[in-house]
Amino acid sequence: MPQTLVRYARDTLARAAAADASIPCRRRARLPALDVEIRCDHGPLAEAMAGFAAGVAAAPDMQVRIVHPGLAGIAPPAEWGDADFGSNAFADLLAAEGLRGSYFHELRFWQFYDPASRQGVQLMAARDAFPPWETGAPLRAFLHWYYAALGMRLTHAGTLGHGGRGVLLAGAGGAGKSGTVAAGLVEGLDSVGDDYVLVQLRPQPRAHRLFDTLKQDPAGFARLRLARVLPQPGPLNWQGKHEFRIGDLARRAPVDHLALTALLLPRIGGGARTTISPAPASEAMLALAPSAINQMPGDRLAGFRFFGALTRSLPCFRLTLGHDAAEIAAAIAAFIEGDPASMQGRRA
Amino acid sequence: MSISSLPYAIARTDIVFESFDGDAVVLDLGQGRYYGFSDSGSQVWQALILQVPPAALVGQACAGQALSASDVEGFVGRLLGFGLLAASPEASPVPLPAAIAEALQAAREPLSVEMHDELADLLLVDPIHDVEEQAGWPIRKQ
Repeated sequence: MPQTLVRYARDTLARAAAADASIPCRRRARLPALDVEIRCDHGPLAEAMAGFAAGVAAAPDMQVRIVHPGLAGIAPPAEWGDADFGSNAFADLLAAEGLRGSYFHELRFWQFYDPASRQGVQLMAARDAFPPWETGAPLRAFLHWYYAALGMRLTHAGTLGHGGRGVLLAGAGGAGKSGTVAAGLVEGLDSVGDDYVLVQLRPQPRAHRLFDTLKQDPAGFARLRLARVLPQPGPLNWQGKHEFRIGDLARRAPVDHLALTALLLPRIGGGARTTISPAPASEAMLALAPSAINQMPGDRLAGFRFFGALTRSLPCFRLTLGHDAAEIAAAIAAFIEGDPASMQGRRA
Repeated sequence: MSISSLPYAIARTDIVFESFDGDAVVLDLGQGRYYGFSDSGSQVWQALILQVPPAALVGQACAGQALSASDVEGFVGRLLGFGLLAASPEASPVPLPAAIAEALQAAREPLSVEMHDELADLLLVDPIHDVEEQAGWPIRKQ
């Protein structure tokens, strides 16, 4: 299996590159420190990537081809055989040969990336045979691999900011992260994303906007009274959630990046007031790293070290949420405008 | 059974850890599991991986009392059960560093380690929160 997998990865990359003439859409997208060329078919994936700014560099930094057997020269995706599948072992096998990859069984959905040539391929069984989350964060795996090589990380966290400074919000699903981001946007704060943001560590921690997608289930949508700003949120997505964009809620033009000044760990509280109190860095690491690392294929050790360094470089706080969205946003705004580092001395 | 006077070591090279003001967070890369320690647990973990024998920890002041043999044995047993430690009988035992002894004395919490495995080995699942909606994944092909 190891050699079969590596051969298959290289063959899939080469076949896609040779099929360029049959891939109808070609566009360039500009992302932080990256100009990427994307070749794909028409359809929802192409539409999902229309939100990326147009690339301008003379030559792309990375090329990604999104292909399926409906395009001339593309073979149907292979199916995993009888061998045990372990996602860690899969990533490690490819990494040992200088490649990156992931595989989603149910759809025979393959993604391979060669960091040496900075070429990626996403091979699907049909034009629309992709996991439903792909449109919310298109190219996510390729961006993860590309940025990991630069020492940056796609990070599973929310963000809120004001005046160019901001906080990272980390925690498991249900902690209140997405609701906090939505509340903050409605009340006039900035955000560079929920779910996934790009984080750089040096020279100073900074979060960059990659994706604009926000989500709320109907209960959260009603609790936050988002209908005030988004009266027709559209159909529910595959998770039964409303899906919308930062610009739909923001009062100002979206910002591209925020200088990070703290890491907040939200939790649903029962009180009327939002409180922010110092948290041990180890607690913050456990809130941030597991989902940030485990939701990305490969490069786990580097991710663990990265998030360790990030957690040590930022003051960490528990954010116990009140029940009023405006009050939550005001508390976070005041916190950002204050001096988070000076509060860290008051350890939990 | 008497407490071991032989040292232990980290069981595998894919078990890594970071220390935050003395608090350890361990990641088992092979299993995708994370471990968080109490303040005293962090110190004992760091002593054990330096190859301080468990017996050398018995009687040390910790969180207002002396560590008993059963305290240390129970803690080491959990680390062995998690697959984080393995016996290293050929290694030379190391005396307990003074800095760890002092940190143990200043600790506020009893020995404990908690496993966080709710996301173990889910590298390829739904990236956006709702892993529980992906019933049956990840899977081992039958």
